[in-house]
Amino acid sequence: MDRTEPEVMEHAKQTQYTSADKKDAGDGGGGGGSVFNGHFDGMVKRPAGGTGHGSDPPAPGAESGSHRPDAAAAADSVMETWKEERTRSVEDNEMNLPSLAAAYTTILRGLGEDPQRQGLLKTPWRAATAMQFFTKGYQEKIIDVLNDAIFDEDHDELVIVKDIDMFSMCEHHLVPIFGRVHIGYLPNKRVLGLSKLARIVEIYSRRLQVQERLTKQIAVAITEALQPTGVGVVIEATHMCMVMRGVQKMNSKTVTSTMLGVFREDPKTRDEFLTLIRC
Amino acid sequence: MNTHKVSDTVEEFHRNNGFSDLVIDGSNSAVHRKRETSRKEAEDKSHLPELEAAYAKILRQLGEDTDREGLLRTPLRAAKAIQFLTKGYHETIDDILNNAIFDEDHDEMVIVKDIDMFSLCEHHMVPFFGKVHIGYIPNKKVVGLSKLARIVEIYSRRLQVQERLTKQIAVGIAEALQPKGVAVVIEAAHMCMVMRGVQKMNSRTVTSAMLGIYLEDPKTREEFLTLSQRA
Repeated sequence: MDRTEPEVMEHAKQTQYTSADKKDAGDGGGGGGSVFNGHFDGMVKRPAGGTGHGSDPPAPGAESGSHRPDAAAAADSVMETWKEERTRSVEDNEMNLPSLAAAYTTILRGLGEDPQRQGLLKTPWRAATAMQFFTKGYQEKIIDVLNDAIFDEDHDELVIVKDIDMFSMCEHHLVPIFGRVHIGYLPNKRVLGLSKLARIVEIYSRRLQVQERLTKQIAVAITEALQPTGVGVVIEATHMCMVMRGVQKMNSKTVTSTMLGVFREDPKTRDEFLTLIRC
Repeated sequence: MNTHKVSDTVEEFHRNNGFSDLVIDGSNSAVHRKRETSRKEAEDKSHLPELEAAYAKILRQLGEDTDREGLLRTPLRAAKAIQFLTKGYHETIDDILNNAIFDEDHDEMVIVKDIDMFSLCEHHMVPFFGKVHIGYIPNKKVVGLSKLARIVEIYSRRLQVQERLTKQIAVGIAEALQPKGVAVVIEAAHMCMVMRGVQKMNSRTVTSAMLGIYLEDPKTREEFLTLSQRA
């Protein structure tokens, strides 16, 4: 590894020592607390004392220190959207199918098509079921999907799962977005089953989404589940709303990234992650 | 050796009115409308409210919160988007050809390839997209090259089935130009197979339509296929 390891560990320790919060992290190598303190800024279950981060002395990472007031507000909104449980159930799906199909029939008529012609006879039902499938992320919760596939491993090197195909729906035009997600994290004694990373991507992408929010939600979910030293998520996607309509730029791609924890503070770690997802 | 003269082929072509069997008997749906209907702005707008209401209902039924900021104007945007994606219903070949047909004493193959195509699957209302390669052998009449791409646009911006789309493009060009032959090949990815259902990411569907001399003469067909597939 090219990272200057001792430096990073040192850094993590420093962060922990300057934290005034009562976090549970008892072990030396920077438990969950050190990671959240300066850099995740409350993107975590707040400790019962509700100290938040306002009372903390600024963490060594200078830029995060100056971020803090804004980051706090931003963190709140991310927390809310992430926690928001708009869960629907399979029964809901079945109940709603007829009125969804009716809506699609209206659309077909409104476009000037004839819903009675052979090719379109069952289209409203097919389209409704398809749309329900494209938004099935609302039916699932992270807890269910992780399936307790969190293991204790004494591993503290980068773990990357890349080229995860992702399909989502643009929440502004209801048109598909598709691309690839690359996830990397630095475990902190706890590793996650690899397919679970892909399942987390599925839960959040199969919704009406905005690419920025999707990236953040994936990163935050992994953080919450594992409390790693750092998480990096990069998404590269094509938006059909730009390709099929509007500006109609065929080859455009949108890239968003979220770097949390040591990925944000340490450029070498981030560099390593970005290099490894390229090759 | 094929002693069939080219002019014979053309005559036969016209005599048989080779495309009559392709006309699907229809109800009065937009797809089969033969007469011209030009979609005016007003007509578009008149349907917007019902489309908007339908999309708002869809959002609610999917369990979303229609009052959140990102979704506030989504029904309107989605309605306009779907109208754009189906604008082909109200365009006709005559409109777009714009008299861009020229008399040229040229009887060699003309190919326009790699035309990006975006359409909607009529079974799931989910996009499918790919590339169209068109070749034709003019019979004293050539057409402006972009008009071939515009013909693709007319027929693809509809609720389609890839087979029908291929044939309609071929027939459209044949009717407009009466060439010696028309060939259309479409290679597309269907999101209804990629994003849902079987979920095969890399699958592609290829359809072709060969009319006139392309159907009869294997060498011509081969020349077209070689030239259009070349990277």
